[in-house]
Amino acid sequence: MEIVVCLKPVPDAETRARPLPDGTRFDPEGVKFVLAGYDESAVEQALLLKEAIPGSAVHAISLGARSRTDEVLRAAIALGCDSATAIEASPAAFEDPIAVAAGLRAAIEGLPHDLVLLGKQSGDEEEGLVPGALGELLGLPHFGFVVDLRWDATSQRLRFGRSTEAGEESWEAPLPCVIGLQQAWNDPRTAKLPAILKSRRAPIATVRAPTGPPEGPTSEPARFELPPPRTGAKMIEYRTPAEAATKLVRILSEEAKVFP
Amino acid sequence: MTPSVLVVGEPHGDGLAPVTAEAVGVAHVLAGADGPVAGLVGGAGSASAIRELGQFGVGRVLRIDDPGVEGASPGALARAVAAAASTVGARLVLLGGTTFGRDLAGRVAVAWNAAAVNGATDLRWDGEALLARRPVLGGRATETRRLLGGRYVVSTRPHAFPVPERPPVSPSVEAAPAGPVPPLLLGPKRLGVKAVPSGSGPALADAAIVVSGGRGVRAPENFRLVEELASALGAAVGASRAVTDAGWRPASLQVGQTGRTVAPQLYIAIGISGAIQHLVGMMSSRVIVAINNDPAASIFRVADYGIAGDLFEIVPALTAEVRRVRGT
Amino acid sequence: MPDFSLSPELESLRDMARKFARTEMVPHAAECDRSARFPEEIYRKAHALGLMNLNVPAEFGGTGLSLLEQCLIVEELAYACGGMTTSIIANCLALEPILLAASPEQKQRYLPSFCSEYHLASFCLTEPGGGSDAGALRTRARREGEEYVLDGEKCFITNAPHASLYTVFATLDPAARHRGIAAFVVPRSAKGLTPGKDEEKMGHRASSTSTVRFDGVRVPVADRLGAEGEGFALAMRTLDQTRTPIGALATGIAQAALDHAARYALKRETFGKPIAEHQAIQIKLANMAQAVHASRLLTWHAAWTIDRGQKGTLESSIAKCFASDAALHVADEAIQTFGGYGYMKEYPVEKLLRDAKLTQIYEGANEIQRTVIARELLRGYA
Repeated sequence: MEIVVCLKPVPDAETRARPLPDGTRFDPEGVKFVLAGYDESAVEQALLLKEAIPGSAVHAISLGARSRTDEVLRAAIALGCDSATAIEASPAAFEDPIAVAAGLRAAIEGLPHDLVLLGKQSGDEEEGLVPGALGELLGLPHFGFVVDLRWDATSQRLRFGRSTEAGEESWEAPLPCVIGLQQAWNDPRTAKLPAILKSRRAPIATVRAPTGPPEGPTSEPARFELPPPRTGAKMIEYRTPAEAATKLVRILSEEAKVFP
Repeated sequence: MTPSVLVVGEPHGDGLAPVTAEAVGVAHVLAGADGPVAGLVGGAGSASAIRELGQFGVGRVLRIDDPGVEGASPGALARAVAAAASTVGARLVLLGGTTFGRDLAGRVAVAWNAAAVNGATDLRWDGEALLARRPVLGGRATETRRLLGGRYVVSTRPHAFPVPERPPVSPSVEAAPAGPVPPLLLGPKRLGVKAVPSGSGPALADAAIVVSGGRGVRAPENFRLVEELASALGAAVGASRAVTDAGWRPASLQVGQTGRTVAPQLYIAIGISGAIQHLVGMMSSRVIVAINNDPAASIFRVADYGIAGDLFEIVPALTAEVRRVRGT
Repeated sequence: MPDFSLSPELESLRDMARKFARTEMVPHAAECDRSARFPEEIYRKAHALGLMNLNVPAEFGGTGLSLLEQCLIVEELAYACGGMTTSIIANCLALEPILLAASPEQKQRYLPSFCSEYHLASFCLTEPGGGSDAGALRTRARREGEEYVLDGEKCFITNAPHASLYTVFATLDPAARHRGIAAFVVPRSAKGLTPGKDEEKMGHRASSTSTVRFDGVRVPVADRLGAEGEGFALAMRTLDQTRTPIGALATGIAQAALDHAARYALKRETFGKPIAEHQAIQIKLANMAQAVHASRLLTWHAAWTIDRGQKGTLESSIAKCFASDAALHVADEAIQTFGGYGYMKEYPVEKLLRDAKLTQIYEGANEIQRTVIARELLRGYA
C-alpha cells in the first residue's frame, strides 16, 4: 500500500502565544514549530499499516515555511517514513485551509497514493477542513474523525470506526481514500537516536503549490487575540467538605450562573 | 441586498441536533430581518426535522430523497449540499460544528467553490466579506478570520449561539436537486451504528457540563466518584491522559491535546494537576472548577474556582449537595 | 566567534531526550525515589531508543555522539530524574576504558552486544579504603600463566547488582602505586565475582549501587585493557571524558529546581501578592538562574573543548565542580522558596537536593576537582 501522510508544523503546545503588533495574526517570532500530536498519531498509523502490509511505503509531505516543514519531515523520516516532500507556497496560501488542501494535492498527485492520511485537525487552528477539501480536490472519498483504522486483506478494504454524535459508526471503504484521524488513540512511537541522526541527511523533495485565482474564495486572518489572563482560581475557604460543597454550588448558581 | 443562507440540518434521533437550531439562530441574524433562510434535510426521518425547522422560523426546506446519499461517504452528501446551496442562491451555508458538520464543511467548500471556517463562535458581515471568530491554539487564543469571495461555508461551535425565538412557520418543502454522484464516492459503506446508550449521559463533545478525573483519583475503582458527580449534574464524563493511558477508562474519554477538545459551560477537573496537554483541551470552557489536594497545582491557574482538599471527601459532599439542590 | 545557538540537529536530539524524560521518566520518578525501585523497564526503553550507549561509535551499533551531544541529552534526562540518569549513563563510564584502550579485536568482542541488546556494565575503581586516592587501590591482580587472579573489593559501584560486565582496576604491585595498576574486563559469570546488596542511599534512589567482591576471579590475559601499569592513566583518561556529562546532569537537576521554584513563586501568595513579587524571592530566583545558566555554559564549553580533540582536564573539572555545587545550592534555594512545603516529600524539590548532593561526590569528589583545577591553573604561572 502506498500511503501519503500529510503533516503540518504547528507551534509547540508550550509556546506562549502572542499577536503581531498589528493584531492580525499569531506572531511566529521565536516560536518552535513541531510535529503535532494528531500528526504523530497519523504517522504512527501509517507505519502500522506499512508493517502489516508487505511492500508498503509511507510518503511524508508537509506544507509551509521551509525551515519548519523540513524539521517536521525529518522527524517523520526518523520515525520510519520512506520519503519526504516539502511543499513551498506563498505565505498567503499557508493561511487558508482550502489553499493548503490545494497545495497538498499538488504533492500527492506526484506520488503513488492508495491512502492519504491526515491528523484530525491541526493542533494550532483546529479547523478540520483539510481532509474534506482534499478529498473533494482529489475526487476521492474522505472520512474525518476516524478511529481504529485497519486493513482487511480478505476484502481488500479499509475498516474503521467513527465516533459521531449519532454513536459509534463502523465503516468499510475501498482504496483509494482520504482519511482524517481522530485523537491519538494509538501510542506514537519515539524515534531512536541513531534514526534521528540519520534523518538529518535524508533528501527532501520540493513541490511548488499552485496559486489560486486572484478573486477566488479564500480566507485570511483578521485579528488574533489573547483572552484576558486568567488570574488564578478563586479558592473556596472551608472547614468541612460539606461546607466546601455548599459554597461551590451556591457560587455556580448565583455568581457563575451555570447551575442548576 | 438580503443574503440568503442555507442551513444543513443534522439528523439526531428522530429530529435535528440541537446545534442545528443554534445555526438557524445565527442564520436569521446574518440573513437580516427578512432575508431568506432555507434548510436542507435528509430523507429518512425528515418529517419531524422539517417540523422542527419550521418551529425555528425556516420557511423553505429542501429534502434529499436519494437514499444512496445517506449512509454513503461525506463526499456524496457534500455534492448534494453544494447543489442545494446553488438552488437557493445562498451566499452562506451553515452547519453545526459537530463531527458531522466539521467533516462536511471542507468538502462542501471545494464542491461549491467557497471560503470556509469551522467552529465559529461569532459571525458578522464586513461588507461582502464574512468575519468569523473562533478559539485557536486549544483555547489559548481567539482568531477572527475574514472570508472573501462571496460564497462561504461555516460550521458553528456547539453552545456558541442561542436557539432562535421566532414565530413558527409551516415550511414549503421541495426535493433537493439530485446530481450525479461519482461511483468512487459511493464505494464506502457504513456497516452499522452503535448508538450511545441513553443512560450514559451526554456525549463529551456537546455536553454543557463536563466532569473529568485525573491521576489524583488514584485507582480505577475510585473513578466512580467522578461518574457519580457527573450523573448528578447530568454531565459528560472526561478523563486526563494519565487515566486513559493507565487503562482506567477508555481513550474516547480523554480530554486534551491528543484527546478531545471540549468547551462546555462548566468544566469540573477532579484530581487533575493541569499539564498543558490537558489544559489545551478544556481551556475554552466558560467556567472551570478545580478540585485538587495540591494548592500549587497548575490547574488552579486556569480555573475560575478552586477547592484545595481531599477529593475523596470533597467530591462525595459535592455530589450529595447537587442531589439535594436538584431534589433528586 | 563562538556560536552558542544549537543547530536543528542538536535541537532534535535534545527534544527527543526531553520527550523521553517527560513521558517515560517523570511519571515514575517520585515513586522510584520513595521505594528505591530500580526501574529496569525504563532503562530497557532508554536502551531501545539509543539513549544508553551514547559514546559507543556507530560501527559497534552505538549512537556515537560527541560530548556536546551527550551533554544535551544528559541534562534533559536529569531534569526528570538524577538517579535514573546515573543508571542510564553508567554504561558510558564503564565502556569508556574499552573505547580508549581496547584492541580492535577486544572492541568487537565487548561492544556490539551492549548496543544490540540491553546489558549494563559497571566501572569498578573506587574501594572501601579510598576513592579519590585511586593510586592507593588494594584490589590485587596476580599473573598466573595466561591468566590473572583478582582479589579484593570495590564499593559504590553503579548498576553493579544488575551488570553483565565490569571494567575493573587492580594493582599488580601496590608498592608501584600508580604505575602498578592494570585494567580488566570481567563478565558477571566469572567465578568468584559477587556483587553485594543494594545500598540504601540518600538520593539517586532509582539507581542501584553496591560493592563488588573479587575472590580469586580468574581473568584471561586477553581481557586485559592496554598494558600492565597503564591502568591508572586509563582511569584518569576515562574520567576526563565522562566528567563533563556529570556537569550536565547537575545542570538538569538545577534547572528542574529553578522551574519548580519559579512556578511556585508565581502561584503562592503571602501578604496579598504572589511571593514572586517579593524582592527576597526575586533575588533568590535571579541567583538561581545565574547559577543554572553558568553551569550550562561551562558544561557546553568543556564538551566543545574535548570535542575539538583537546584534553579539557581543566575545563571539565571546572564544569563538573561548578555545576554540582550550583545544583546543590539551587535545590536548597528551591526548598527555601517552597518554605514548609519544600521540606515535605509530597513536593518534588527535596528530592532534587538529595539527588544534587551526589554530583559533588561521585566521578571525582569536588575536593579532587579543585586540586586538579589548581594544579592546571598554577602550571600556567610557574
